[in-house]
Amino acid sequence: MTDNKIPVAYINDKPYAIEQGDTILKLIKRNLGKNLVPTLCDAPNLEPFGSCRVCSVDVALTKGGQVKTQASCHTPVMPGSYIYTDTERIKKLRKNIIELVLTDHPLDCLTCEVNNNCELQTVAAQVGIRKVRYPEGKTHLDRQKDLSHPYMTMDLSKCINCYRCVRACDEVQGEFVLSMSGRGFDSRIIKGNDVSFFESDCVSCGACAQACPTSAISDVFESKSVVADKKVRTVCTYCGVGCNLEVAVVNNEVKSIQAPYDAAVNQGHTCLKGRFAFSFYNHPDRIRTPLIRKNGELTPASWDEAYSFIAEKLTAIKKEYGPDAIAGISSARCTNEENYLMQKFIRAVIGTNNIDCCARVCHSPTALGMQRTFGTGAATNSIEDIKHTDCILVIGANPTDGHPVTGAKLKQFAMKGKTTIVVDPRRIELAKYATYHLQLRPGTNVALLNMMLYYIMTEGLEDKDFISRRTEGYESFKSHVLSQNIDELEEITGVPKELVKKAAIAYATAPNAMSFHGLGVTEHSQGTFTVMLIADLAMITGNIGRPGVGVNPLRGQNNVQGAADMGCQPHQGAGYLNAYDPEINRQYEAFYGTKIPLGKGYKIPEMFEASINGKLKALWLMGEDVVQTDPNTQKVIKAMENLDLLVVQELFLTETAKYATVILPGASFLEKSGTYTNGERRIQKVQKVVEPLPGTRPDGQIICDIMNVMGFNQGDYEPGKILQEIAQIVPFFAGVTWENLGTNGKQWPVKPDGTDTKILHTETFKIGKGKFHHFDFEESKELVQHAKEYPYIITTNRELEHYNAGTMTRRTRNVQILKEDVLLIHPEDAARHFIQDGDMVCVESPRGKVDIKARLTDEVKPGVLSSTFHFPEVMLNMITSDVHDSEAMCPEYKVVAVNIRKSKGKYKG
Amino acid sequence: MSKNLSYLSGRKGLDFNLFEELGIAAKATGTPDPVEMERLRNEFLFGSANVYGTVSFYDFLKKENEGKELFVCNGSACLTAGTQSSLKDKISSLLPAEKVGEMCCLGRCHENSAFHYQGRNYSGDAINQIRDILDNKAAVKDSYQTGHIGTPVLTAPYSEVASYYQILKNCLTRSPEELLDELKKSGLRGRGGAGFPIAFKLASCKEAPSDVRFIVCNADEGDPGAYSDRYIMEERPHALLMGMMIAGYITGAAWGVLYIRAEYPESIRIMEEAIHHLNDTGLLGQNILGSSFSFRFKIIKAQGAYICGEETALLSSIEGQRPEVRVRPPYPTQQGLFNKPTVVNNVETLACIPYIMQYGGDNYANIGTEKSKGTKLISLDGHFRKPGIYEVDMGTPLSEVIYGLGGGFKSNIKAMHIGGPLGGLVPVHKIKDLTVDFESFAQNGFLLGHASVVCIPEEFPMMEYIRHLFQFTAHESCGKCFPCRLGSTRGFEMFDKALNDSYRIDRNLLMDLLETMEIGSLCALGGGLPLPIKNALTYFEDEIKAYFQ
Repeated sequence: MTDNKIPVAYINDKPYAIEQGDTILKLIKRNLGKNLVPTLCDAPNLEPFGSCRVCSVDVALTKGGQVKTQASCHTPVMPGSYIYTDTERIKKLRKNIIELVLTDHPLDCLTCEVNNNCELQTVAAQVGIRKVRYPEGKTHLDRQKDLSHPYMTMDLSKCINCYRCVRACDEVQGEFVLSMSGRGFDSRIIKGNDVSFFESDCVSCGACAQACPTSAISDVFESKSVVADKKVRTVCTYCGVGCNLEVAVVNNEVKSIQAPYDAAVNQGHTCLKGRFAFSFYNHPDRIRTPLIRKNGELTPASWDEAYSFIAEKLTAIKKEYGPDAIAGISSARCTNEENYLMQKFIRAVIGTNNIDCCARVCHSPTALGMQRTFGTGAATNSIEDIKHTDCILVIGANPTDGHPVTGAKLKQFAMKGKTTIVVDPRRIELAKYATYHLQLRPGTNVALLNMMLYYIMTEGLEDKDFISRRTEGYESFKSHVLSQNIDELEEITGVPKELVKKAAIAYATAPNAMSFHGLGVTEHSQGTFTVMLIADLAMITGNIGRPGVGVNPLRGQNNVQGAADMGCQPHQGAGYLNAYDPEINRQYEAFYGTKIPLGKGYKIPEMFEASINGKLKALWLMGEDVVQTDPNTQKVIKAMENLDLLVVQELFLTETAKYATVILPGASFLEKSGTYTNGERRIQKVQKVVEPLPGTRPDGQIICDIMNVMGFNQGDYEPGKILQEIAQIVPFFAGVTWENLGTNGKQWPVKPDGTDTKILHTETFKIGKGKFHHFDFEESKELVQHAKEYPYIITTNRELEHYNAGTMTRRTRNVQILKEDVLLIHPEDAARHFIQDGDMVCVESPRGKVDIKARLTDEVKPGVLSSTFHFPEVMLNMITSDVHDSEAMCPEYKVVAVNIRKSKGKYKG
Repeated sequence: MSKNLSYLSGRKGLDFNLFEELGIAAKATGTPDPVEMERLRNEFLFGSANVYGTVSFYDFLKKENEGKELFVCNGSACLTAGTQSSLKDKISSLLPAEKVGEMCCLGRCHENSAFHYQGRNYSGDAINQIRDILDNKAAVKDSYQTGHIGTPVLTAPYSEVASYYQILKNCLTRSPEELLDELKKSGLRGRGGAGFPIAFKLASCKEAPSDVRFIVCNADEGDPGAYSDRYIMEERPHALLMGMMIAGYITGAAWGVLYIRAEYPESIRIMEEAIHHLNDTGLLGQNILGSSFSFRFKIIKAQGAYICGEETALLSSIEGQRPEVRVRPPYPTQQGLFNKPTVVNNVETLACIPYIMQYGGDNYANIGTEKSKGTKLISLDGHFRKPGIYEVDMGTPLSEVIYGLGGGFKSNIKAMHIGGPLGGLVPVHKIKDLTVDFESFAQNGFLLGHASVVCIPEEFPMMEYIRHLFQFTAHESCGKCFPCRLGSTRGFEMFDKALNDSYRIDRNLLMDLLETMEIGSLCALGGGLPLPIKNALTYFEDEIKAYFQ
């Protein structure tokens, strides 16, 4: 420690090694713990601010030299300096500051929400305040509370003006909802133009409440209150970001949720879904008993009854029509272990490859496209690489709504003026801050990427070394790209070629450029091709295999990566091994100890077709609401109605569950354990927080039960044990154990010794060399066939407040913030149809029509409409088409030909 | 302060500036229209709260300023001169109270009776023509003495503009490093109060990696009693402009920003004219005088906030953020305006640069004392027989200024508040011990600061003066750091209660408060206030002891 080469500073006369960038406070906290020096305005995820001055220490540049008082939080450590943390002068200073604070603070600690968890209270105790000596003066104790918001609360009489909330809103969420107004003694936190929380642009992320050291800003769940029997760390069930949550439990009920600061994924941050939208879990609508349809009515039944009913039915169907008349759809909302069991059940017990999952309708083109180019269908890099990159390309993704915590990080990047390219038909939040927004016509990603590739080539910006060392097929790829008619592509995309050129040059010349993509890439008829062109873009610029680069799909659902990893697709079993390869089949058979099918299985859209054609007789759905979320609702309903047996594992009576023969009440993420794998391949532990509601069972247990009932000895759902089984068959899980996942999980591939992998393809690709593939733009069949009659394009999107079908979020107070789907329409289009903001509009496609409320906005270009399908009241998928990606069969939700007219009444298809 | 907001504001550069736009939007009524605020915040990608927070901070933007037309000076010199209550009486007979606001120090400390009406300042006898002024019929110019002891670096008149800029032309033939060397040799220290050597600042900015840099002139001369920067801007504008250009050439900055207080409308007009003149004569813009040096000026009109004289608050102000004091590091020379390397210097400091370049650093270093080089401008208030702006070599005995140049006091004076509200309170018997330089004042427990002199007459109660200082600080505190935000108000209350009711001040508590502010505050506002109060406790104990327990 006193080695001459390492600079040291002395804290209370003992030497400590200084690290680069150390402030005095950092040095003290690292060596002597976080409680030695009290702080109020300092927070783990915020920049030093220097307002409270409570962290002041005395510093002398030499031993016995002149001492100066300095705020330790923002003062860099001088090598060789002498830091004194507790001199009489410092003790007095801290006490005097706190005394001043208490002159304007209600001294009602015992009845305060944060009693015993208040930083002011702690610091006041630490400095030893006994009395406030000042004469009675002006105070702000009469400030009114703001209880307008479904989640956020504010009581400024408790505010100490530390600005932590303002800074969290700015530095973490990047929202600028909070600021200070006025100045001096009367300065006061405001929201927006001094409006209420509810009226403000607050996105309800709760970062301010978590940051607030007192109860000045809190939430309705009183998440800072210490009243909890236990706190359980688990992983959020909503999107693929995989935020860690710390859930407080009282009497086996969830009380509140906070985001742990030490979480590698979310560093103390999360969004309103993760933090607040949990009350669905014990909502009265939860199904609490198995239901069997008897005489057309869903009738309560015992588990045994339900199981034997299903087992009999399945056995009979299998006997009469063969195992291929049965199919299963697994759920990317469920754990790895549950997904593994589901595909095992379908393959090993039923005996068919008719297994698929909702990745089909979101990121199947990503998995397929990246497998074809790189050999691995997963994000090449990690989210933390945002810190190391110079350029970010966001294509077909709206992360600030869809992946809020990653979205906030991207927004922070873009706000700082770092090169950000947004490719999206809508002017999404990120586009406002981006360097380039390429606002293309929906469905023309392939054309646009060809333009970018073209300009990188014509400008001579390829990474020739990378291309020659790491790839193959470049020459023919290059000549194909260069043969494109750039003016034609400009016409197709509707994006000025000069703008595309600038963006292409920016991407290609950045030392490190990384891309993020979402469903705006995959949910197209050319989805897989688009993914492969994005991969091509990374390869020709050499943006692969180091920090700050790569191709990074923003996986939609919490465990969509995991569901695919576990083998929930017909052609690949657990670990992506080829299910149609006899060699591998033997391996699976040996492992599962039973016969495993080799025949081709149905993908989801094929299942619907097969049902309508009478080939598929039974379907088992684990937590999937295909009626509301799959395209062309009427067709999906027809498929459901045609089945002899529809088994649905669900929390609620969803639109799909209404057609079920048997409903098995599953358990929510709060009621079970297992693992989820997030979008950056991070396997994280989901830990049971509360016992499942009476009458419900974890989905994994249900699958185990039915396997056992049907004669396969699976035992009970024990996540650790199943994970052990997974590790034996999934190569990239080789070193994963329940124990070694720890708090922050591991990113696959995990070697047998337990080391994990942040960045893929550093030396070589899984398939050796990266493969260039070229694709020409092709107009979607949907438009070729229908554009004349239906001249508008509607593209579907997501809103921050709701998750997919809204099954969960609609059963929380999120509905008070966003209560309906709306139609985004350009004012010019609206004027043409005499539509005003708030009018009902009938949107009609060749499949059907829906009535939806108009919201006029220039976020979309004329001719383009956009909406969501969070609410069954609209059922937007009535109009979406069943055109799908040519390769992966992902439906084209993003390009739907429609016509519009102002409508009077409310029509529901 | 928000780094994100600095970046976002910086996207628009200086040609389209949020703070300036807010000022324009407030022009008609005294406060910006909410619709316009919303439009601007969208354009700059700020939050509504940010713009609202900014507007609510400034005296001349905030909602309460709506409808104000005439502003009465409430600065220390006008206060101790006792002119303002009769002034207000005269005004109140002609204008309703809701149209009358206050401004803190119009820089008319030599004449007092100061007020501001529709972009012009008035003082002295002007109040007698108030009817004509309100009808826009009277143009009344103030007048004050000037003079010097020693070398007139700043007060010497310069030749006509074209030949004066020969200095710049010569500079452009030399390397920036050579010029920096001259500055190093000159030993010039910042005149804003901190006395930091300017050459170090320029070197640090020059070395910071960036493609964009700024020279910012702090012309927010907010210290009540000081008007020497106003003198330079109105009488020697080209010394300042050329000083900034040379600083730009040295550091590689292509922009000079003059942040001038709204209370100095004449200064703004004169600087604008001077810049126009340079533009017209080809001395600004691209490739000045055929060199590779390009430079432009931007004037930012402040909106009434003393704290903007603090350099980091000033930078946030230009960015349209709330002017709250930033922590250092990063220093402005590393991350300043729009997060780019920035030199912030006071008017008087920058205006010395042409002289140094003309006569050489060594020559300048020969003026003044060992540690305080050069000359210093001093502002004398209306209590002197010859109030005005005087330039003296550093090290000149204070008595020569007071009794020589200033001609002594008109009436009985017990103390002088020298160096602004945060400077020391110098009892008259200490005059003989002081020379005009940083060290002499510091050694005697005072502060040279900006060298403004406000006299406190015998009959003016010291208790009231202390209350005034606490009140001033409480009004001007940005509110960021706890000791200043809370302490200034509690201090004001203690003195106010002692003056108005039977409350007697707990001396230990007051000493605790002063120490808390002095060593605990983030910037010199809270940190500096205790000095004059401690001086008062030392030198005027007899006068005030009755108010203590």
